[in-house]
Amino acid sequence: MAAANRATFFSGAGLVWQWQRLVWWIFMVCLIFGFFSTHGMTERANLLLDHSVAAQRLVNGFDFSAIIMLQQLRDSPLEIHGPPIFHFSALFVAFMLFATGGILAAYVLDEKPTTTAFFEAAGHHFWRFFRLTIYLAIVLLPIAGLAALTSSMHTRIEEQSISPYPGDHFVEAAAVVILLLLIIVRVWFDMAQVIAVADDEKKMHRALRRAFGLLRRNFFSLFWLYLRVSIITWVLFAFGLYIWMFRLGPQPNVAAFLVSQLMILIWLGTRLWQRASEAIWYRNYQANRVPEPAWTPPPAPMYMPVAAEPQA
Amino acid sequence: MRLTKVFVLAASVAICSGPVFSQAPAPTQEAKPTAASADTAAKPLSTRIVAYQIEAKLDPSKHTIAANETLTYKNLTGQPQQTFPFHLYLNAFQPQSTFMTEVRLAGTRGNGPDSEWDPKHFGSITVDKLEVEGAGDLTSKMEFIHPDDNNTEDRTVFQLTLPKPIVPGASVEFHIAFHDVLPKVVERTGYAHDFDMVGQWFPKVGVWWKNAWNCHQFHATTEFFADFGTFDVKITVPQNEIVGAGGDLVSSANNSDGTKTLAYHSEDVHDFSWTASPSFTVVEDSWTGSQGPVKIHLLMSPGHMGSAQRYIDAEKGTLRLFDQWYGPYPYDRITMVDPPHGGTDAGGMEYPTLITLGTSAHMPQGVLAPEIVTEHEFGHQYWYGMVATNEFEEAWLDEGINSYTEVKVMDELYGKNTSAVNYPFVQMSETGLQQSGYFSDPDKDPVASFAWKFINSDSYADITYGKTALVLLTLEKVIGEDTLRQALHTYFMRYRFTHPTGEDFLKTIEEVSGKDLRWYFHQAIYGTQVLDYSLADAHSDPLKWWDGPAHATQKNDKDEVYRTYITVVRKGDFIFPVDVDIQFDDGSTAVEHWDGQDRWVRYRYDRKAKIQSAQIDAHNQIFLDRDPFNNSFTEEPDPRAAHKLRTIWVFASEWLSQLLAWLT
Repeated sequence: MAAANRATFFSGAGLVWQWQRLVWWIFMVCLIFGFFSTHGMTERANLLLDHSVAAQRLVNGFDFSAIIMLQQLRDSPLEIHGPPIFHFSALFVAFMLFATGGILAAYVLDEKPTTTAFFEAAGHHFWRFFRLTIYLAIVLLPIAGLAALTSSMHTRIEEQSISPYPGDHFVEAAAVVILLLLIIVRVWFDMAQVIAVADDEKKMHRALRRAFGLLRRNFFSLFWLYLRVSIITWVLFAFGLYIWMFRLGPQPNVAAFLVSQLMILIWLGTRLWQRASEAIWYRNYQANRVPEPAWTPPPAPMYMPVAAEPQA
Repeated sequence: MRLTKVFVLAASVAICSGPVFSQAPAPTQEAKPTAASADTAAKPLSTRIVAYQIEAKLDPSKHTIAANETLTYKNLTGQPQQTFPFHLYLNAFQPQSTFMTEVRLAGTRGNGPDSEWDPKHFGSITVDKLEVEGAGDLTSKMEFIHPDDNNTEDRTVFQLTLPKPIVPGASVEFHIAFHDVLPKVVERTGYAHDFDMVGQWFPKVGVWWKNAWNCHQFHATTEFFADFGTFDVKITVPQNEIVGAGGDLVSSANNSDGTKTLAYHSEDVHDFSWTASPSFTVVEDSWTGSQGPVKIHLLMSPGHMGSAQRYIDAEKGTLRLFDQWYGPYPYDRITMVDPPHGGTDAGGMEYPTLITLGTSAHMPQGVLAPEIVTEHEFGHQYWYGMVATNEFEEAWLDEGINSYTEVKVMDELYGKNTSAVNYPFVQMSETGLQQSGYFSDPDKDPVASFAWKFINSDSYADITYGKTALVLLTLEKVIGEDTLRQALHTYFMRYRFTHPTGEDFLKTIEEVSGKDLRWYFHQAIYGTQVLDYSLADAHSDPLKWWDGPAHATQKNDKDEVYRTYITVVRKGDFIFPVDVDIQFDDGSTAVEHWDGQDRWVRYRYDRKAKIQSAQIDAHNQIFLDRDPFNNSFTEEPDPRAAHKLRTIWVFASEWLSQLLAWLT
């Protein structure tokens, strides 16, 4: 079982690599949205900073007070920045909701994701996945409640203890629990998406029920599959941040840009790795499942002829 | 988070090889008089007007104090005095007090009390009995007064009229029995868990100043003002309590009821505060300055030991630079109190020879908050403790001057560009910190305002702290850094242990610098003008025939002459002389000095070179300039700063997108 799981883990990475054009396309969309969302800010920053000697405070180092001062200016390049980022992020979410069907079709069917096939699958599954997202929001409500409960318990612990550590440790532990719960929820809903694509399941509540059953029966293998990839993501992301912040000097903009984009690429690629691994897992599961005996109609009841009662 | 823990661990290891820690109860040995204290005993440093003797008993379970106070007031006002006002600060923490009214309207420092005003935040001080030597029980004669706002519900000031006046030179003795209910930590005082910070806790007489009694109500943004004298305070607490106080420990004795009584003595100070908690860890250290050794008594709260060495280092560095720059520290001790988590509103406060600090369990090494608060609160030993200005009416004289010296000391100790935040990827200077505050609210109130008359607490903080610091930093350009340092030294030595005014300070600067600086002070201290110069235009064009004789000198293309215009605009109302440095692409330079009187000025050059750059205040000395980004022009654009910002924002935008896409 462990060997099979390991094979799935690596096969998932292989599948992402095999159909890497998906990763690049999504990454490019994300990058373009990123550029669009910051375009206004960049223009104003260029206008204010390009011919200013004071801009060297941001070039030779990164003077945080210069950022605050920029933010406080009437024509601040930072002030206009918030809403576009949120707008484009929402747009990207919609895009991913659409694209997921196409991505999973490629992974589940293991066929080359041609443009036509990709968009057909994406369109075919869009509303199903939209409904799944609504189910997800409902499932997340108790976890949000748990987070709120954690916060209120933290306040109570803080009030009772003169040491900051009990409260801090409680929050750290609660954060780990909530994170693991979120991973479990994602495993469940990703499986429902895989079922929807693999079996062309139209009823999302049925897909969710089947996915839940699979998750329940194969909890550790599926959870470990996701957790491993998540750990790799976090480690690589932290390493990227470390390189960006502590190892790159203040001036090499190109290197900083490349590192930052590599981090986004890692984040995206590993997320698809999780999806691909689960798709492979489901394929294997379907392939290895002992077929249930074919349905045969029960024998027709045999009616014995009953002798007619003599008429009175 | 993990990185922080590594930092904390590293700091803790470093500390363990440093000073001595002990978890033991408060030291019981008698404090040994030092050279400095021996001197002060021989000759008082201040004119001692008051002598307080207080016996207080803390009930740590209820956070209440029962006390008896004897105040001997010496009438040095030069005229008979029959009416005496007293502060009862703890009554500010009542729902209908002036303090709370102002907090609800305009905010306060720190978190302030709950807006819902939870009863556990209530604090109070009640005078149970007031007798005057020779006049008997005058409790019934106490009368609450409200000199600032006529709020009849405010009970932070009362006055007492004696049956007969006290003649000049005579003394009067008040015997006051009172009890305190400490609030949950708010505005520098109160309790949190088993920690009690006891500040502004006893009936304190007002100050006869400018030929009148000065005794303001307690406001949301005001601090304190009192006369110098001596304090003999006996504090009784349970034996497990560790106590720190603003005085020398004279004796300690265990009582049969499980308590102990600690006797403290302090002189040439104008206030006395103390703290108690069984959870403190004591860190002892010392520093020797021009007046002899100074004992550093640090009380650390649980979980904060990672900051202990940082506090000590900052304290020693500050002691050294103040001693070197401004004058000697004459006391033989400094007590530093680190409030526990949940009690941070007791932090960042100054009392004579006792300061409260502030840190957290996971304070990153690159964030110099523990160092800044240590420096700032110690600085108040000079600008408030010894130079005892009126914090109600001229808060800039303590907070503002102190913020300026904070910049100077922090820059010296931790680097000019890294004195507030110091990481390879982000830095912040102390000057930048002050600018960030001031520029957010630059023109609502003048520096010279009564503390409670600012439009809100933000404006109070931004102007009183930030603007004053920047005013003095900018003044360095006019009179020189060394001259200003000398002026501060003169001001300190001349006015220590007195109550100088703002004009005393400004006149000292003028005297030392030998310059009439009224044009500057009028705008910077008494006005709300904002300083903002802008390099509005700079360009070079080849001369044409219609440009006249200069064009005639041009013989061929190599000789092409360019006409360069540089326009400088004064966008703000603050008039300040500026220098404009101009560089041409043949390496030649020009410097123009503009008095800034007009709204704009335009310079013209006909040269065989085009402009390369023009810059107002090229040496970055005008710290009051609200927008340093419009002070210069370079012909060659340098988009690196904008690119860097874009990289960060694109990344943030993409990452947010990726996080949200998790939902799909």
